[in-house]
Amino acid sequence: MSKLKNDTRERRALIDDNPLVDVAACLFLEDIADKQGASGMNNYLVSLATSLAKSMPVEEYDTWDDFLEALVSGESIISAFEEVETITPNCAVTKMCPFTRGWQEYTKRIGEFSKIHTDVAEYYNSVYKPCVINSMCIIHQTFRNAAAERIFIKGNPLRCANIAAVWEDGTRKIAPDEWLPILLEKAQITSTDLTMILRNNADVWVIYTD
Amino acid sequence: MLDVALVSLIQDMSEKAGVEGTIQYWARVGESLAKRMGKEAYMGWPSFNVALREGRTAFSIEGSVTALTDLAITDVDGDVVGYIYALETCVFNPTTVRIRYSVGELPRADRAVADEYNNSVRDTAVCNFCVIHQRFREEVSKNIAIADQQLDCIQLAARGFTGETKIADDSMKKIGINPEYVRSLLRNYACVYAIMMKGARLKGEEED
Repeated sequence: MSKLKNDTRERRALIDDNPLVDVAACLFLEDIADKQGASGMNNYLVSLATSLAKSMPVEEYDTWDDFLEALVSGESIISAFEEVETITPNCAVTKMCPFTRGWQEYTKRIGEFSKIHTDVAEYYNSVYKPCVINSMCIIHQTFRNAAAERIFIKGNPLRCANIAAVWEDGTRKIAPDEWLPILLEKAQITSTDLTMILRNNADVWVIYTD
Repeated sequence: MLDVALVSLIQDMSEKAGVEGTIQYWARVGESLAKRMGKEAYMGWPSFNVALREGRTAFSIEGSVTALTDLAITDVDGDVVGYIYALETCVFNPTTVRIRYSVGELPRADRAVADEYNNSVRDTAVCNFCVIHQRFREEVSKNIAIADQQLDCIQLAARGFTGETKIADDSMKKIGINPEYVRSLLRNYACVYAIMMKGARLKGEEED
């Protein structure tokens, strides 16, 4: 493991947002939505996140433990932009949303987050999977799923699915009732565990291989 | 994450829409940001410089900016019409490091975009990100008034991630600052620019 990755401060610098670009990108996305609506914005977000994941190197691990070690230390592409901890061998949490700083800068310098960011999430939830709160979640979760396709453990591709997300203002999005018991079982946590985990984490997700 | 995602698009975009397309894309991103940040008005240069120091102006989103108050720009009558400002660390330095540790390397389009910008717009870019910065500052200055006068921003010098520098000699001559002095500023700062009253009659322009 590189010295840089081990150093917490340096690791923080690798995760921290670029506020100028994040705010500029949010406004640019709003311009896209003005012209192409929520579906056009959604398509852009999905292709942005997929393109990012595809530009990153493929990974192979001999054991699940090797993968978990890389995941938590930030060496895996799936945790390159966030601080991840594991609650169980199949349940990972994101401590802080990687878009928090950009959002804070937006609210400070532009004002209230535009409604289109939640409108596009409603579009995504109805067309894809009902698990996102706003446009940032679309990028984040699409990236995570696309990155998982590039990670192999004992030759099997990694699978991941979001169980729940919490935004900075406290808004929660939990997987639908019909999916939740299956996801919780795979993650090896209970619904009580989930509510406890959500108090101080931004995202809860399940990881597994077929 | 969003910054790395946007950068990962530029190679693809440059291949499909040409590097000119990427320049337009970054310019629109910078322009859109500046336009949405709203108008600002200050009583005079001291209040603007204090706002800058406290991170209250739109310029502050780029990071820590220092007003070099010893480098006042004067007009033909000797009145102060602006100052030189310096950005301590380019906001894209961490992005470049993040790209190094996540994707691997900056896309080839980075150099191509900067070269095209230097050839077709102005010879001041050290990397593709300079397009956003420079456009952003130009637009932001239009939204700020000091003593009821609109501002103008002129790019003077930049130092890239690898140490490459770009110095706009013509602009330096226009505002009457020695290029060698600005070169020495690049030891401590990543980007140097002038903010001044729009339409001010400068000594350098009179000589031309």
